[in-house]
Amino acid sequence: MSKKALLGARGVHKSYVMGRSPVRVLRGASLSVQEGEFLAIMGSSGSGKSTLLHILGALDVPDKGSVTFRGEDIFGMGGAARRVMKSREIGFVFQFYHLLPECSVLENVLMPRMMLHSFWSWQSARRRARRETMELLGRVGLADRAKHRPNELSGGERQRVAIARALANQPSLLLADEPTGNLDAVIGSEILDLLAGLNRAGQTVVMVTHDARVASRAHRCVQLGDGIIREAGGPSGTDALAPVATREVTR
Amino acid sequence: MYKWFLASRYLYTKLIALFAIGSVMLCVAMVLVVMSVMGGFLDTIRARSRGLHSEIVLDSGSLQGFPYYAEFGEYLMRELPDVVDLTTPVIYSYGIFRVPATTWTRLARVVGIRYGDYIKVNDFEEGLHYERYFPGTTHLGLQQMPVASFGEDGTIRLPRDLQEANARWRAQETDQEVIAEFEAHPFEYAIYPDVVSTAVGERVFAAELGPARYAGPERYGIIVGCDLLNERREDGNFNRYNARGTDVALALMPLSRTGTTSGEPPIRVPLRYVDDSRTGIFEIDDFCVYVDFEMLQQKAAMDPQELADGGFTTARANQLLVDTNDDLELYAARERIESAWAEFRSELPADLSFADAQALGPVRVLTWEELQGDFIAAIEKEKVLVTILFALISMVAIVLIGCIFYMIVEKKTRDIGILKSLGASSAGVAGMFIIYAAVVGIVGSILGSVAGTAFVWNVNSIQDWLAQMNPQLRVWSPTIYSFDKIPEVVKQVDVIWVCAVAIVSSMAGSLIPAWIASRVWPVEALRYE
Repeated sequence: MSKKALLGARGVHKSYVMGRSPVRVLRGASLSVQEGEFLAIMGSSGSGKSTLLHILGALDVPDKGSVTFRGEDIFGMGGAARRVMKSREIGFVFQFYHLLPECSVLENVLMPRMMLHSFWSWQSARRRARRETMELLGRVGLADRAKHRPNELSGGERQRVAIARALANQPSLLLADEPTGNLDAVIGSEILDLLAGLNRAGQTVVMVTHDARVASRAHRCVQLGDGIIREAGGPSGTDALAPVATREVTR
Repeated sequence: MYKWFLASRYLYTKLIALFAIGSVMLCVAMVLVVMSVMGGFLDTIRARSRGLHSEIVLDSGSLQGFPYYAEFGEYLMRELPDVVDLTTPVIYSYGIFRVPATTWTRLARVVGIRYGDYIKVNDFEEGLHYERYFPGTTHLGLQQMPVASFGEDGTIRLPRDLQEANARWRAQETDQEVIAEFEAHPFEYAIYPDVVSTAVGERVFAAELGPARYAGPERYGIIVGCDLLNERREDGNFNRYNARGTDVALALMPLSRTGTTSGEPPIRVPLRYVDDSRTGIFEIDDFCVYVDFEMLQQKAAMDPQELADGGFTTARANQLLVDTNDDLELYAARERIESAWAEFRSELPADLSFADAQALGPVRVLTWEELQGDFIAAIEKEKVLVTILFALISMVAIVLIGCIFYMIVEKKTRDIGILKSLGASSAGVAGMFIIYAAVVGIVGSILGSVAGTAFVWNVNSIQDWLAQMNPQLRVWSPTIYSFDKIPEVVKQVDVIWVCAVAIVSSMAGSLIPAWIASRVWPVEALRYE
């Protein structure tokens, strides 16, 4: 049975101005992500992985090209519709966790849900949101840390909180930007186990990494180089990645 | 919802927010104190100004007065019974006030009044010192000096009518504290006439061995402004060195009908000090004395004068006070009286003397507000000016909040990026900081209102406490100002206005930082740790 494309990028270009000269980061990157897939985007430092991920998640805007979500051009939507789509359908996990330091673990994870509510509607939704958030924290193993502040947590715990926050609105797509980049190998492996477990439960995950071992946990791996996407093992592929890159999504 | 949540969270987790709250609080308290004290000052002046006059006043606009005041008074009572309750004339003159037992003299404004009617059209009676404790005993007619009996056993008894009047007051006075205060200060007295008076107290009477009685020649009474004759103490009360009934004198200089001096030497009028008056306005209490209208009219040559052809000039007064029906709106009453005055003038004989016709020209019908307009307007302007000055100073708070919020936005750039990555809009982020500023404004305003109100309510105690430490710190001295105390009233409407402006100002101060926050590009904000 053929899988439906959840996310698609076609001919995405993006350049930045560094000093006085423009740097072309993406030069027509194209990509398709199937529902339920665990995709790794590999590339060396500065290759534009994060830029691509930001564009896929509608955090950044491409200079040229299109990104579709469930077949709809996300940059063709109005700003408000795109924000709602982003809040409901896309969860972000960052390398540096990016938690709000003034808020507890529970509050950090509740934040995306709060964004979907007005002051008044939140009063009726709050109880249920708290209950579901506590369940979510239980799934990432942090139910007992709900009232802690981020600075009272280890790096791995913070990343779990970030993952829980990304899942708060039960998004279709989880985008992870170097999720283990700031963690040691053991903790990093735990985080990858968590992502893999979520994926097994049906969560579509797109992860960027420069680390081949991290990428090996994905179902499929693509290589970002010279601003375009190549299937790993292709022209500038990494041999080590070949088995992963050619592995079929089996779910 | 996140805007409200984070705004409230930043409020108590950010020390810098406390500085913002503190600045709003101080500004609110400062402006509130200024508005309340100046407003209280203005209200007191206004109330006391009202108490000086009747609702409507016909004012001559000159020292030589205007004729036909009595006829117009009767005309009003006859033609406008639904408007006018009572009319009473007043004469203003100037003289030299002197206490013959000393060489002490003062220039005084001499006000001629019909005491019985005058106290009905305004609050004059409420400010009389002896009349309060001995009701019905103050008058401006001919009278002798009351002399208390000073028994060998130390007991003091006043003449019978004063004793009875005091008993009446005790029976009528409902405020037990006032009676207790009276009891705490028994009659103090001046030894008269053998011993030089040195006694100082609230109610001073001459006393001598023998029965209580009235002594000395009969003289017209004079009520003296409390600051003119007495010495004001730091507590706002007075040291009275002259016993009730003391001989005093006025030297008057009559004016002719055309306002020139008559060429005669000043007229010396011996009088008897019967009471002192406290209107609460220093300029009046330090300058005015009140004497019998008819007596002053005659001494000032404003009574009907016989002419060479056997006729008589018309009597004159400087003002006619008109007490109107309380149910009538003030300016509506004035309009009707003004029309009546025009009507009355048209009915006057055509062959008026030149002087009378001239004197009627500048007569104006005024409300008490208009009569005191310049005085009240000056203080109103002063209040507005001072409030604007302090409000301008308070604008510093807006700049300060702008700076504080700019610092917060700078520090929170990463958080803003996080929020935007979670789906917050630019308007939402800006709104969050504006709500944050509004909450700072609300909390600062509440604290400032409480602090300002507490300060105003206790401003006199605070001043007393400061003055105890250093007398130089007493800024409001009853010996200088018209009022005994700094006004202690805070109006709700002032609090609401000041708080509203403070909250709006706080929000205004946060606009630029909020706009900067809304422009944060999440990708840039989240790029590095």
